[in-house]
Amino acid sequence: MVTGATTPIGRRLVERLLADPGTTLVLAVGAEPDPLPLAVRDPERYRYRQVDLTRPRELHDLLFSDGRQLRIETVVHNALHRRAHDEGPRIHALNVECTRDLLSLAERHPTVGRFVFRSASAVYRLDPRGSTLLSEDDPLELSPSAPQKVRDRVEADLTVCTRMGMSPLQIVVLRCAEILAADVGSQLWDYLGSKVCLRPTGFDPMLNLLSLEDAARALQLAVRGPERGVFNVPGRDVLPLSRAIELWGRVEIPLPGPLLAPLYRLRARAIGSDFRYDLNFRRFHFSAVLDGRRAQRELGYEPLHRIVWPYSQSSGSHS
Amino acid sequence: MSLARRLGKSLSKLLLDPRQHAALGSLAFRDAGHGFDVLGFDPEAFGVALGVTRFAYERYFRVTSHGAECLPRSGAAILAANHSGLLPIDGAMIVVDVARQTSPPRVARVIGDVFIPMMPWVGTTFSRIGVVAGSAGNFRHLLESGELVLVFPEGAPGIGKGFRKRYQLQSWRVGHAELALRYRVPVIPVAVIGAEEAWPEIGRLDSFHAFGAPFLPIPATPLPLPVRLHVHYGEPLVLHERFRDADDPGMVRDAAGVVKHAVEALIAQGLSQRQGLW
Repeated sequence: MVTGATTPIGRRLVERLLADPGTTLVLAVGAEPDPLPLAVRDPERYRYRQVDLTRPRELHDLLFSDGRQLRIETVVHNALHRRAHDEGPRIHALNVECTRDLLSLAERHPTVGRFVFRSASAVYRLDPRGSTLLSEDDPLELSPSAPQKVRDRVEADLTVCTRMGMSPLQIVVLRCAEILAADVGSQLWDYLGSKVCLRPTGFDPMLNLLSLEDAARALQLAVRGPERGVFNVPGRDVLPLSRAIELWGRVEIPLPGPLLAPLYRLRARAIGSDFRYDLNFRRFHFSAVLDGRRAQRELGYEPLHRIVWPYSQSSGSHS
Repeated sequence: MSLARRLGKSLSKLLLDPRQHAALGSLAFRDAGHGFDVLGFDPEAFGVALGVTRFAYERYFRVTSHGAECLPRSGAAILAANHSGLLPIDGAMIVVDVARQTSPPRVARVIGDVFIPMMPWVGTTFSRIGVVAGSAGNFRHLLESGELVLVFPEGAPGIGKGFRKRYQLQSWRVGHAELALRYRVPVIPVAVIGAEEAWPEIGRLDSFHAFGAPFLPIPATPLPLPVRLHVHYGEPLVLHERFRDADDPGMVRDAAGVVKHAVEALIAQGLSQRQGLW
């Protein structure tokens, strides 16, 4: 069962799972109508259910009617709210309460034996005193002043992590680097959408970016099992922020840091963009790259696909 | 290629002699995919830094290297040196010297203080030329990657020790010894002679903590004095053969003590061999 199946990552994962002859059946779950094109549908191996995951009753019925009947073995929880500006209890319900409920239901489900949760690198606290290369044991962002998007992700991640070793399920948490793609909630995608990118003067941190294909592949490897635990999922692209701006064909303007938050707030209000400087303040100052050695060793994951940068590296011309 | 990178490439070609510039092509470097390593090191920027410091190395401080055959040509190792100065002149000259004395050139990755990444421009510039913030995670990563790591176990007190305490090693941290035991890598003692007189301090502002700095040193002269510098490398210390347990605090302390004595001996040797300050 894959939640968030209408998101680009969910779609890609479902496609990959269906392409794998080892997959008996995929139960895709999303908030919107069925996203897969007709050609991909395989009625024998593919079912889609439109479910509001914030409603505990709907969630319960999904697992204990369809889920039980179809004898689902693995739950991949990939449904997290994507827009950073949306806040409030309903968003919290999807990000955190739904994760808690889903995990609890999966634990008492007769056929589910494995739970895979897609978390994000945003859960780590970026501290200039800490390591640039973040391992799974590095501190999490537990500051009460962090925006809800971050707090929810940390809470959901910890909710799942605290069940490890106590749950009858094999639990896997994948902390993915930022996926630079549309409609995945990527802050950088929105940031680079502007022709002029403002960045704090004097700082040019290293970023680690993940392609959609590698994210889906990591989830697929986690589904296969039997490894369990927390794994960082780094991307193939490790580069400074200024280089990312350049490769995206944008103009960068370094400005004093205190000016950036109000300017980006103004931009968000004017054109409804999702980029929040307060959310990215630390990573626009301090380098952070995920250490993916554990995932490589235990899951066999290695980033293979680069981001398709609009401007090629060598010529500087649009490709 | 961006304008800055093109400029950097031309600048390093202009400032370095052709042999040094050609040697940069074979610089040992782990490209993470876009011309930088995961910690932000950029070989182009390193080339520029070598070019920019050439005058200081050859003409101003007239650096002489002793015992460079002790530098390993490959594999992880820790260089542990005495520390001094308002700006890390000693660190810069060791880095340049290591790059010049090894073939293919190796980059000594300096473990800097943790406040460095918080300083605008400085943090970014330092990371491009191979300096990393002094966290255990970064240090471990460099050793696991087979890098040559330069540490100043005296830390910030080494910078602020003042002219009267020159060549007297201050509180000696032990982290480097623990990692040397854990990763079974040799420690090469290094003594820099001259740097402790190059920029004397008349005092320091202990209340100054901008960007996390421990204090603000007040120099006696606006520029460092053109003192002749000598970099001495000692025989590699294979600590893990003598001290087996990296988790034993006593053993780690003893191992760090061995390094400290070796650096002190090199300093004494360097001072006795030195023929005048200038």
